[in-house]
Amino acid sequence: MKKRLLKLVMLLWLTGAAAYAQTVVSGKVISAADGAPIPGVSILVKGTSTGTSSDAEGKYSLNVPDAGSNVLVVSFIGFTTQEVAIGGKTLLDISLEEDITQLNEVVVTALGIERSAKTLVYATQSVKTSSLTEVRDANNVLNSLQGKVVNAQINQGSGGPGSGARIVLRGNRSIQGSNNALIVVDGVPINNNSGPPSSNSTNATNDFGSVQSSDGASSINPDDIESMTILRGASAAALYGSQAGNGVIVITTKKGTKENVSVTINSGIQTDTPFQLPDVQNQYGQGSGGQINTATGASWGAKMDGQSFTTVMGDTRSYSPQKNNIRDFFRTGVTLNNSVGVSGGSAKMQTYLSYTNNKTQGIIPHNDLTRHTINLRISNQISEKLSTDAKVTYINQVIENRPRTGEENAPVIDVYQMPRSMSNADAKNYQAPNSLGVQQPTAWPSTLSSIYQNPYWMVNNTSINEHRDRIMGFISAKYKFTSWLNVTGRANLDKTTDLGDVRYQDGTILWTNSGNGGYFGKSTTTATQQWYDLILEGENKLSNDFKLSYHVGGIWQDTRIDFDNGTTQGLQIPNVFSTNFAANPTLTSASTGQRTQSIFGQFSLAFKEGIFLEGSLRTEWDSRLPSPYYLKYPSVGLSGVISDLVTLPNAISFLKANINYAEVGNGGLPQLRTPVWNFSQGAGNGNLARSTTEAIPALSPEIVKSLEFGVDAKFLGDRVGITATYYESKTTHQLLKVSVPIAIGYIDQYINAGQIDNHGLEIVLNGTPIKSEKFTWDVGLNFGMNRNKIVSLAPNSPIFYLGGNAGNGRTATPVVQVGGRYGDLISKKWKQDSEGRHIVDANGLPVGTDDQTYLGNFNPKALLGLTNSFTFGRFSARVLIDGRVGGVILDGTEMNLAFSGISKVTEKHRDDNSWTLGGVNESGTVVEKTITPQQFWSAGSNSTSGQRYGVGEFFAYNATNFRVRELSVGYSIPVPSVFFIKSARISFIARNLFWLYRGSSLLDIPGIGKRKLQIDPDMALGNGNYQGVQYATLPSTRSLGFNVKLTF
Amino acid sequence: MNDMRKNIKTPLKLVTAVMLAGLVLVMSCTNEFESLNTNHNAIAKVSTAELPFLFTKALSAAPNSQWNYQVAQNLFADQYAQYFACEATYFGSDRLVINQNWVGAQFNPMYTDVAPQLQSIFASTDENSVEWQVASIWWVYTFHRVTDYWGPIPYFKIGIKDTSVPYDSQDKIYEDFFLRLTNAVNVLKTKTDQTAFTNPVYDIVYGGDVNKWIRFANSLRLRLALRISNVDPARAKTEAEAAVAGGVMATSPADDALVQRSQKGSDGNGLAIMEWNEFRMSASMESVLKGYDDPRMPEYFLPSVKTGDYEGLRNGLTSAQLTDEGGLNSTDYNSHHGPRWSPSDIGGTSDYLATSQNVMCTAESYFLRAEGALKGWAMGGTAKNLYEAGIKNSFLQWGIAADAGAYAASTNVPVAPNDFLNSPPMTNIPVAFGATQTIQEEQIATQKWIAMFPEGVEAWADYRRSHKLKLYPVVNSDNPLITNTSTQWLRRMPFLLSEQQTNKAAVEAAIPLLKGPDNTQTPLWWDKN
Repeated sequence: MKKRLLKLVMLLWLTGAAAYAQTVVSGKVISAADGAPIPGVSILVKGTSTGTSSDAEGKYSLNVPDAGSNVLVVSFIGFTTQEVAIGGKTLLDISLEEDITQLNEVVVTALGIERSAKTLVYATQSVKTSSLTEVRDANNVLNSLQGKVVNAQINQGSGGPGSGARIVLRGNRSIQGSNNALIVVDGVPINNNSGPPSSNSTNATNDFGSVQSSDGASSINPDDIESMTILRGASAAALYGSQAGNGVIVITTKKGTKENVSVTINSGIQTDTPFQLPDVQNQYGQGSGGQINTATGASWGAKMDGQSFTTVMGDTRSYSPQKNNIRDFFRTGVTLNNSVGVSGGSAKMQTYLSYTNNKTQGIIPHNDLTRHTINLRISNQISEKLSTDAKVTYINQVIENRPRTGEENAPVIDVYQMPRSMSNADAKNYQAPNSLGVQQPTAWPSTLSSIYQNPYWMVNNTSINEHRDRIMGFISAKYKFTSWLNVTGRANLDKTTDLGDVRYQDGTILWTNSGNGGYFGKSTTTATQQWYDLILEGENKLSNDFKLSYHVGGIWQDTRIDFDNGTTQGLQIPNVFSTNFAANPTLTSASTGQRTQSIFGQFSLAFKEGIFLEGSLRTEWDSRLPSPYYLKYPSVGLSGVISDLVTLPNAISFLKANINYAEVGNGGLPQLRTPVWNFSQGAGNGNLARSTTEAIPALSPEIVKSLEFGVDAKFLGDRVGITATYYESKTTHQLLKVSVPIAIGYIDQYINAGQIDNHGLEIVLNGTPIKSEKFTWDVGLNFGMNRNKIVSLAPNSPIFYLGGNAGNGRTATPVVQVGGRYGDLISKKWKQDSEGRHIVDANGLPVGTDDQTYLGNFNPKALLGLTNSFTFGRFSARVLIDGRVGGVILDGTEMNLAFSGISKVTEKHRDDNSWTLGGVNESGTVVEKTITPQQFWSAGSNSTSGQRYGVGEFFAYNATNFRVRELSVGYSIPVPSVFFIKSARISFIARNLFWLYRGSSLLDIPGIGKRKLQIDPDMALGNGNYQGVQYATLPSTRSLGFNVKLTF
Repeated sequence: MNDMRKNIKTPLKLVTAVMLAGLVLVMSCTNEFESLNTNHNAIAKVSTAELPFLFTKALSAAPNSQWNYQVAQNLFADQYAQYFACEATYFGSDRLVINQNWVGAQFNPMYTDVAPQLQSIFASTDENSVEWQVASIWWVYTFHRVTDYWGPIPYFKIGIKDTSVPYDSQDKIYEDFFLRLTNAVNVLKTKTDQTAFTNPVYDIVYGGDVNKWIRFANSLRLRLALRISNVDPARAKTEAEAAVAGGVMATSPADDALVQRSQKGSDGNGLAIMEWNEFRMSASMESVLKGYDDPRMPEYFLPSVKTGDYEGLRNGLTSAQLTDEGGLNSTDYNSHHGPRWSPSDIGGTSDYLATSQNVMCTAESYFLRAEGALKGWAMGGTAKNLYEAGIKNSFLQWGIAADAGAYAASTNVPVAPNDFLNSPPMTNIPVAFGATQTIQEEQIATQKWIAMFPEGVEAWADYRRSHKLKLYPVVNSDNPLITNTSTQWLRRMPFLLSEQQTNKAAVEAAIPLLKGPDNTQTPLWWDKN
């Protein structure tokens, strides 16, 4: 079972038996993807039984009867079989293409159980690991899956390098809980908590602002990944019980080999620049009403013609456009990645040792990440029956100056808000000492002086830092009772300590208002997960036709997060950042823990190696639930390899169908079953307040019931493959916070209720349009679509707000409402009359609706990823184009900048006095009043709340977009076989190269027209369920780089 | 075949063994589950030891602090009492539009952070105890501020376990207020040697002084008596005279009710949040304080950064009026609130968050008595004497060394604020007590308004009740129900949207109690203007 299946049998026919003088042909077999030698490759002379296999260095040597006309058939598990004409050569290097859809491959499934893909009753998808280490994402390895995993929606958190990411498989299904896929490394879920590194850093729940912290996945080192499999459906994930609801990303890390020592060095350098910045106007400068006015930060001023003016800092300057003041604020990020991996061993003991160094310089000045990863894996065959395996990974990661994003005083909004006539050089005079020598902010023009500040002050005088130590590892032992029965025991630990600190120098607006001398916060978060399991594995032939394989076992999992935080508003000696100087120290602690204990059984019954019946049952005891604490999670499935059972037309080389059903869980939160009173420091001796959420004594996890049906087919001798999967899932027992009449003494109450349905279709196509000795072209296409329906929610509570806030988002609000879909965005709109005409007021300005109503949905209608790979001799190239169709995104950044006359869209009609909207008044009469852009964008639309948070509809965009996501061009440098380097490959890589298509604004404003999307919908304020709204989110980046991979 | 059977039996035994081992492991350990699932950083069950902390919470939460204070009070009552004008362009409430999401802070925390605390004290202490009765006084203080915003509110059934909590009519609620205050004074009179929860530290209003609580209860009773003086004059007289006879607040600053604030929790002084630069001195305050050459002005406000003088803004300016006009209406040109609520870098104090927050001042009780005296009630003094004592106590409260007598005799009148609207003086009355009842009524109302600063919730209620104070008309109304701001003003808050969603049946049943539509213009039960 643990061995990779090697299928070598090729049906052969003889083309001739004439005897010729034998020639020795030799050479080397390498992987086309990375140039690494492949040992154990079968090399057979076509039509004969003559053959050999490659050695540890990928070398082979073979006696060939007729080097002139013979053809070699080269095959290896996981690679496309190739036929190579010898053509009289004696030295013949062969490069093999990985075949990710090959059905004979072994797939690592739940709990690390390896299964033959053919026997599976559910859909899986593997990701080429070379595509994760070549074109890297500087922030999080999960972002590298963009476009490569069918039906996966990935949003990048706005926290810069190391930022948490959100990856949702097959649609959203939980309102209160997580929708993120479970990340499993070597069989065990990792702690993927995105907890705050400090109380000042939380995941976004609204557009005001937040700091996206690291998640657990961001510290995974792609260089140590051996394979990655995506288990999208509940059935595939069922053995994870209450953690299986969102699908699983199964990562298997590298092991030592039994062969001679090999050393792999991978070095890459990559630069990052903002991919998409807001479109700004460059004609009108600082001021208001068409006049220069340096008291305001807005750019509603005069036309910039180089006239002389006095800045708010008292300098005489020319009033000229500063076209690049935003772009020039960002710096070019540089990512350096260096890893060395040593692999080797004997039949008894294998070792893999690696060290990886990542240095990432973010695009925000001073935002840096440094990470060291040390990984050691030792596998022992102690006796014929007993083997052990152990791994330890230590990660040390320092992130400095993690940016805040959102509307609050934070670098991104601050730089976007710079007047169009303000130069970076002037802005860099951001501080001056006061009479005591303490640096204070210099005068800064701002449209909102209580919130926005000079961006250079923010990046130089404030910081949010994170220091992570993480240790992950396991020890396991396997005992083989017989050839068909073994038991494995495993102990796994994942412990992360995050030390966070937050520093705001005296004078920082918003963050030091309430304390003199500055603000300082320091926190420690410790997340510890222990996992122990025991799995019995067996396989029996019941008769000639029936074979049974099974796993039974038990799992004990304990997770604990402890958080201690000390803050001070005010430092007695200004800007000395230590709690020793705290003017008002406040200490808080929080801890949560949960334990699950499970027993499970799983069987697979095979009939004639063509029909497979599978079932599993996990009984899980969960400390979060009420007594007797347990729930059962079953799954059942059936698959048939039709092509093995009946004779199909020649064109169809493989056909398989499967169906499965599973019931799994999603979360459940700890400490919800009993009410508590929380203590707060304060006047007197402090005080006690009751939790405003009423407890839920009968808590249940959310239950996901999923049905999946799939077909796998291959045509034309495996040249074309297609996998199509249809699924349905019903998620019930949603954990909901329901508002209650407040006079009962609570704001809300947890209940389990409601049903959210998802269904969808996934198609994975693989083909090889051209395949010749010299040139190969492979195509891989992912197409996924998900449809969601909110069937029911709680009685009397038809709407819930995503992100946990109380609703009424100030730009738009992502909601869940009965009859709608998960992630509907509601916002204020331009009011229309019954005939659909837009309503304007007596001044000709738009009238906004009183309430927020449906605007669109943040989810895509379809997701596509198209990879084209080319191999031409030693050259190879890969292009990934991906994108999404449909969905709406609210550009809060543009809303904010339009208010200040900075957005490009505010440029129109500044000098003409003829702009009319042509709308009607409430009684239906056309109003022909002319308006000014300043009136329209900064006051007109909804004077009751202003445009800083105005009518969302004006800033809503269709999020459809396509882009060249990844490009890599590689070359395997020929190295002489005597040279100590066995292979060398260099590649040029690029990521987020350019847009192919961008969606447009929803509204076609008279006199303005439609605008193209000017934000990257991949970015998100945070990696929680608050999505669909951007507000001064960090821009995504375009990367260019080089990668060198050497194998010794 | 034998072999096969043997082959199966062995694993089955092993399977059984592993399963059993697993079960034993699992079942034996669930006894730790409850402890694992408990939040050890919080209190699961309150008992006697925790009650004093509940008491402190109720005292702290009822007047609102920080964020809640801004959205509950600054953005509404403080503007409608014209202590401050809104400087931010993105708030509409100064133009008489009610944002339901903000005003909820005058309602919600009272039911979650005050009522559960006080009800726990009622349930765990004896009705004849100091603790019970002080809690009862605070209950009245808390909920009169709620009912005076909305009228009918959930009151008698607070804390029931139900899907709906009924609203009660304001007259019934006031009936209970008087009953509670009367009972409290009667019980506390016999326990003046005691301290609530035996330790003065928990009483962050009066440091455990029961005599002061008695005077506070009587002053509150007097306030509420005047409040109903137009709807039930006879009852008002009885309650007011009984309150004065029982002893109201008499000496400032000792009797002043202030709630302690701190810098280390989230209970900082509510007014300190104005550091967000969204409010400035109102033109009304400027006209009156400047005209009277009032020595309290430097306590209440800071001079304008740009002019060095005290500058106020008319209430209800549009975004355009705020941004244009050469910047004259921007933050730097107008007066920030006073030094005790401001950070030191702009002329305030370093621990301004910890400045105690005004609850009720002694001066108010004198002005209430002065008004009662004008009505011919037995208030223990003449209207003039009480009026002047009110001024004197207000000076004492703010630590003003100037001669209160000279001020009280002054014939100064309010001045024009010299603004871009060429606003006239707010009114024309001098400080010196006038000759006619009409003038005297306006003078008492005006001086009470000055003295109660910055307690806008009470000032707005008093403005609506007496309507003797002649505030400026709001410059612009965005409220469609208010088309003439000279003759119309806000009367109440509409029932909360959140209540209409979560407590619908009760809200619908409450609308008839209003005796008018559920909007901003239906006067409350006690509002006969």
